[in-house]
Amino acid sequence: MGNTLHALIQGTKAAMQAITAHGMRSALTTLGIIIGVGAVITVVAIMESLSATITDQLDDLGSDMVTLQAHTNPEQEMLGLSNKLSYDDFLMLKAKTNNVSDMTATMRAFSLGTSVQYGRSNTQTQIIGTDSSYQRVINIYPELGRFLSESDDLRRRRVAFIGSTVAEKLNMPSNPTGEFINLSGDWFRVIGLAEKRGKLFGFDQDNYIIAPFSTIRSLNGSQVTDNIDIMFTPNKGSNLDTIKAQMRQILRQKHKLSGDDVDHFKFVTAEKIKKQFSEITTAVTLVAGGVVGISLLVGGIGIMNIMLVSVTERTKEIGIAKALGATPQFILFQFLVEALILSLLGGIIGLALGYGLAAMVAMFMPGDGGVMVPMWAVALSFGFTTAIGVIFGLAPAIKASKLNPVDALRYE
Amino acid sequence: MFSPSNESVIELHNITKDYQMAEQSFCALDDISLTIKRNEYVAITGPSGSGKSTLMNVLGCLDNPSAGHYYLDQQDVASLTEAELAKIRNYGVGFIFQSFNLLPRSSVLNNVMQPLIYRIMANKTRKEMALNALARVGLSDKVNSLPNQLSGGQRQRVAIARALVTNPAIILGDEPTGNLDSKTSGDIMKLFDELHQQGHTIILVTHEAEIAQHCQRVIRLVDGKIESDIINSKELPDG
Repeated sequence: MGNTLHALIQGTKAAMQAITAHGMRSALTTLGIIIGVGAVITVVAIMESLSATITDQLDDLGSDMVTLQAHTNPEQEMLGLSNKLSYDDFLMLKAKTNNVSDMTATMRAFSLGTSVQYGRSNTQTQIIGTDSSYQRVINIYPELGRFLSESDDLRRRRVAFIGSTVAEKLNMPSNPTGEFINLSGDWFRVIGLAEKRGKLFGFDQDNYIIAPFSTIRSLNGSQVTDNIDIMFTPNKGSNLDTIKAQMRQILRQKHKLSGDDVDHFKFVTAEKIKKQFSEITTAVTLVAGGVVGISLLVGGIGIMNIMLVSVTERTKEIGIAKALGATPQFILFQFLVEALILSLLGGIIGLALGYGLAAMVAMFMPGDGGVMVPMWAVALSFGFTTAIGVIFGLAPAIKASKLNPVDALRYE
Repeated sequence: MFSPSNESVIELHNITKDYQMAEQSFCALDDISLTIKRNEYVAITGPSGSGKSTLMNVLGCLDNPSAGHYYLDQQDVASLTEAELAKIRNYGVGFIFQSFNLLPRSSVLNNVMQPLIYRIMANKTRKEMALNALARVGLSDKVNSLPNQLSGGQRQRVAIARALVTNPAIILGDEPTGNLDSKTSGDIMKLFDELHQQGHTIILVTHEAEIAQHCQRVIRLVDGKIESDIINSKELPDG
């Protein structure tokens, strides 16, 4: 044990001397590892902070919110069918579904198009018809003024609650409440300005106008059949699957769907979006991991190559060491430790490089711009570089330790 | 390491060493039997290619004979493991090479300290022992020089200091004066005389008659065989 420890300590000293004596060569040797580890850290850090940003934003959106949409499967589409969810469907679901107290319906204002005008400015936006219950489901709050009230809906008032981007684009005064905006010829009074929500997946979440459901419905008129989206939040502690099953049953009955017929609707959850996103990031990370794995392998072979050259070049030195009493174990450790130090050195520099690169990229990314390098990535990189040092250092080290002293001394 | 008696420290029984060179077998040592006692002062001479250096390498446990037995201090060398051989090279034998074999990038002190690196001891002790060995060869002022900053004689003395530093029972010198002028050779030989007086067993390979005559016993090799084994008129130690 004492001998092994002694060989390890003295071998490390000898290895350090050899590495510093060939500074340039050592640096070039580690380059493969530096690039490999740098790449893995960069990719992982970027993917991590990206998905953390998006998860945060999805949480803001209300991860337990469920959207129920009309759904037409491709076969039906080919037959020219287009399934719809009506306001009646909504009323029935709202009345009959258990365990859901917050449920709202939204409708696109087809008749009003997407352009909005204020004074001389105009912009494109999304016009949503809904009622006061929307606020509780979506967690949207007024910065100024108020949200839609029940009476707005009952009386089909021409009022609008606007997102901050709309107010900005239309050059409205800092308090836009009481101002009138023109939606394709119809005038709406602004009753409230929403709190800014920022961007999600690069999409502006503040570019919308919300008007009373009944107002939009009447403006849409009879030219289009109702098609609404239903959004709801299950009560705390309730089972979403039970709720979905119940809703499905109600809707299938109402739409007169028999046994084999496919659903005319689908449920979309934020959880599902999150899951899809994490599948994408996992796939990207795996692909990047594969590429990085190859580059680390190449880096490892680079180290082995240099170590083999080093053993050959220092054959005489090894011969002298053996003639003076170095044990095979000592020589083995010296060269193994040298390979290990080279690869670990590459790992450390690569980590710093990757961290720096990720920080640079993070500056151009949405979100708060923080870099997150998870511990597992650091541990993995070091585990991998250690393994590379040992695996690729072993062959040259064994070669060195087995040299016959006389042959080694004769080597020129 | 070796027992302090006048028994033979080195015994060779029918040692043969063959080299396989491109289909041809070359016999460097041919059935050599030889006994060397403690504190002998031996010269091995002979024309080039006679097997002097090969014999030296076998004696220094740097090379294995093809056949025969080598007993070093009553121990059969063939039965030892690589690690045990390393220990003998470190503790039992001090080897001085013809071409010095110093590490060119290491200082004189580090070169002399190298054999001690393979021993478990405090670095301070290593340094003291190395400085002591350098003082014995008169190189205390060159401690921090690199080998290429030294003259041939100085380099040879560094090599001797490196062989001395472990205080080995046997000192083997392969042409220790081969690359030196006669004045420097004389100085080096004086050093070997001193070491002999201090009780070391000394075996030198040389092709110079003067050096050989300086020793107590001269073994002459020709074509891998012992041609003559003469004990000079000088006084031999007891035994």
